[in-house]
Amino acid sequence: MSSQIVELMDKAVQYALEIGADFAEVRGEDTITGEVKAVNDEIRTVSEVRNLGIGVRVFYKKGTGFSFSNVLDEEYIYRTVRTAMKIAKASKKRALIKLDLAEVETVEDRKQSPATRHPKDVSLDEKKDLCLRQCKTARNVSDRIVNVISSFMEYHGRLHYANSEGTKVSYEPLLIGLSIVCVAKEGETIVDASDRYGGSFGLSVFEEEAHTPEKIAENAANWALEKLRAKSAPAGKFCALIDPRLAGVLAHESFGHLSEADMVMVGTSPLAGKIGQYLGSEMVTIVDEGLPERGGYRIYFDDEGVPCTKVEILKRGKLNYYLHSRETAKAMGMKPTGNARSQDYSFEPIVRMRNTYFDAGDWKPEEALSEIKRGIYAIDTAGGQVEASGTFVFKAVKGYWVEKGELKYPLRDVALTGNILDLLKKVDAVCNDLEISSTPFGGCGKMDQRVYVGTGGPHIRVKEVLFGGAR
Amino acid sequence: MEELLEVGSKAVNYAEKLGADEAELFLSLENHTSLKFIGGIFASRGGAVKGIKGSLIKLAEPWIKKKGVPLITSGIRAGVGVRAVVNKAMGFSSVSSLEESQVLAAVEEAVKIAKIRPPDPNWVSLPEPRKPSGQGVFDKRILDLEIDEILDLCVNCCVTAGDLDKRVTQTMAMVSARSLYIGVVNTQGIEVCDKGTFFTAFISIKAKSGDEETSGGDFLSSRTFNIDLRDISISAAERALECFSRKALREKYVGPVIFENMSWSELFSTIFTYGISALNVQENRSVYKDKIGEQVAEDYITVIDDGTLENGFGTSAVDDEGCPRQKTPIIERGVLRNYLYDNYSAKRDGKESTGNASRQRLFGTPSYANQPSIKPSNLLIMPGKGNLNELIGEIKEGILVKGSLIGALHSNVLTGDFSVTSNNTFKIENGEVSYPLKPCTVAGNLYEALNSVLALGNDLRSFGNIICPSIIVKRIVVST
Repeated sequence: MSSQIVELMDKAVQYALEIGADFAEVRGEDTITGEVKAVNDEIRTVSEVRNLGIGVRVFYKKGTGFSFSNVLDEEYIYRTVRTAMKIAKASKKRALIKLDLAEVETVEDRKQSPATRHPKDVSLDEKKDLCLRQCKTARNVSDRIVNVISSFMEYHGRLHYANSEGTKVSYEPLLIGLSIVCVAKEGETIVDASDRYGGSFGLSVFEEEAHTPEKIAENAANWALEKLRAKSAPAGKFCALIDPRLAGVLAHESFGHLSEADMVMVGTSPLAGKIGQYLGSEMVTIVDEGLPERGGYRIYFDDEGVPCTKVEILKRGKLNYYLHSRETAKAMGMKPTGNARSQDYSFEPIVRMRNTYFDAGDWKPEEALSEIKRGIYAIDTAGGQVEASGTFVFKAVKGYWVEKGELKYPLRDVALTGNILDLLKKVDAVCNDLEISSTPFGGCGKMDQRVYVGTGGPHIRVKEVLFGGAR
Repeated sequence: MEELLEVGSKAVNYAEKLGADEAELFLSLENHTSLKFIGGIFASRGGAVKGIKGSLIKLAEPWIKKKGVPLITSGIRAGVGVRAVVNKAMGFSSVSSLEESQVLAAVEEAVKIAKIRPPDPNWVSLPEPRKPSGQGVFDKRILDLEIDEILDLCVNCCVTAGDLDKRVTQTMAMVSARSLYIGVVNTQGIEVCDKGTFFTAFISIKAKSGDEETSGGDFLSSRTFNIDLRDISISAAERALECFSRKALREKYVGPVIFENMSWSELFSTIFTYGISALNVQENRSVYKDKIGEQVAEDYITVIDDGTLENGFGTSAVDDEGCPRQKTPIIERGVLRNYLYDNYSAKRDGKESTGNASRQRLFGTPSYANQPSIKPSNLLIMPGKGNLNELIGEIKEGILVKGSLIGALHSNVLTGDFSVTSNNTFKIENGEVSYPLKPCTVAGNLYEALNSVLALGNDLRSFGNIICPSIIVKRIVVST
């Protein structure tokens, strides 16, 4: 299939130039997303989704046009190129700014993804067992665990890119993840808790002690039990210790999105025009990159064929760089960073993050905790929502009330509210326990496109955060 | 479409030949054009575009306002999803292609997966054929829309909103036009197809006065071609403009809150649809387990799911398993009557599917790539009395929450707890809106709220497949 796709891509690029495009780029995809899901002790879902298709983008004078097809024959692909041209001509009439592409060196490269026990080489039976092992472990923890859902997911294949400048690259994306949700019940109280792990690994990662299915399941089950006794978080402003996962989501959701250059260009981001300004405590460095040293989702090239570079968005508190596609880089006179990404071949690439994290500091987590007189230790999150202004709401899935440096009792539904630019100034400790993770279960949504991302950080402490409380 | 069904029959026969006891092929073909347009006034009123002087831009506004940043995508997504059952175990596989060789390869994969799975004791069978409930809503005008026309619609929305008031600084219009053909063929004898068209428009506005920035948005969803987007353009801008001079609450507020229909639809959609899913009930994830026949809401609340509703956003001839749509009472005068079922959960309870199997997901993964799950078709809360102003008069003192909420999707669906941020919130004093509030955290519990509704409005509006009026809830916590 791969050679058929590459052949069609070349023809599409050729054809686009023939019908008058100034520039043409074509992406091809052949990927598989597989899922195994167990509910209690039953395997509930086993599925495999193969995604094949081609997306074409052309530039014509002031306009750009994008179209796609998953019917892979010459006639359809030519039709797709013509639709893209039609869109380019329509948008040309209305475009305020001419979108140009920043110059990049042409690249020809083909990357493999080395992984021990790549999911494509591991039997379905074994993947099924990972889920069943999780279910069994969690249910053995207590009878109060009344429901368990375990999922294994994998995503891999090959992504191709070619353009009329001569760039031709491809790589093998790879992401696996294992997750569990436990529901605990006592009297009328029902709570749930979850845990997960994943990244661009082979299945050998689940043999590591910290990430065995049993370990992940125990964490979730114990959290659920603890939550049965948890009190609602008090409302008000308190000192907060934030764990690596919640820190990662903060870095991504509330800060990372603001640094996406498309938002900066149209002025919706409060980071517009602030390069070189101090926006946070000097302890804070926030990074976005495609190939982190350890963990996360490994991306070699973005969907404009640009190699992914490491961007220190915030460097020791100072705003240093934005995340760019070739268009935004050109418009702002900066360099492309390899941040143009799309959900799949059927979406136009837009500026997206890759692996976004708070870089490590030198505090030990115990030290950071020991200095808190009264506060909240907020752990992990099921997600949050932010506005373009940087205002956010995050729900930590777990928390503890802290007094005199000690964890006093567990809290549930801990909601953090505030503005990230305010929060970053109040960071007064950044620890040394950096962790980056990524799973295929969620991903990041923007403009109706979902892409896989990695997030992370060490423990960070914030002098004062507004907690919403449950009620 | 008939040719598609032919591929379908071939595929299910092939599955049986490979040893499947039952098989089902779901096919879909989708034409989708989506368009986002950021109106040019962000350049003249918002901030400067790099390289052009601000004063020049102001002079050029009559030209600029008809330009902007367009982002247009159009294409075809076609593919199949195969479910094969071997010895009560189900395998699923899908491929983004309608080509026979690829479809048959997907069938092989599904059978292979089914064979390695243990039997599911709750499995009974795929659905049997029943008479379709009617017809999907299909408006050829949506299919025939030219890209230029849709773009002009978006430009007009942005111009309308921008012309309304100088304080409007950013305008954005998003329009999507989609046509969908689906087909279901299974070994029980189902062989149906259906088609539908969908049109949505969303307008988002920012306004600025001094240092204060406000936002507003409005939304329209329709199955037929709705050319008049003027009303929602104006409403979106007004929603931003009415929020200037916001004040903070002096202290945390606990008491009655009016949720405008748009705000309520978001909370209701996220939490309630989870609770009434039969599968969630069967697997102990719903607060409505064992509550059929019991009072779960104030006695003037009636909720129905109606997949046959004329021009409803979720109306179709059959659901995504080929079962007919129907009208299902969920809550009647406060009493819980039914859950929503797909084929699997229905047979598990010895019932018939309520026609609520859906393969649609958030974030545009195409239908064929997903297995069916339980979703409402058109979920309708029956209206009460009085428009929004009359509701405001009714509570005398309280808070009004309007527009879209931030964080509704992150509500706790198990317990019903929500804690969201609202940007369009107002203080009500002496039965009138007295002033707008700074961004608020609004927290409560949806299930408790249904038990303590003070009144329902008569201002029914549809937000995709949720149709509801504005509502007054007795006790909600609000803080700024």
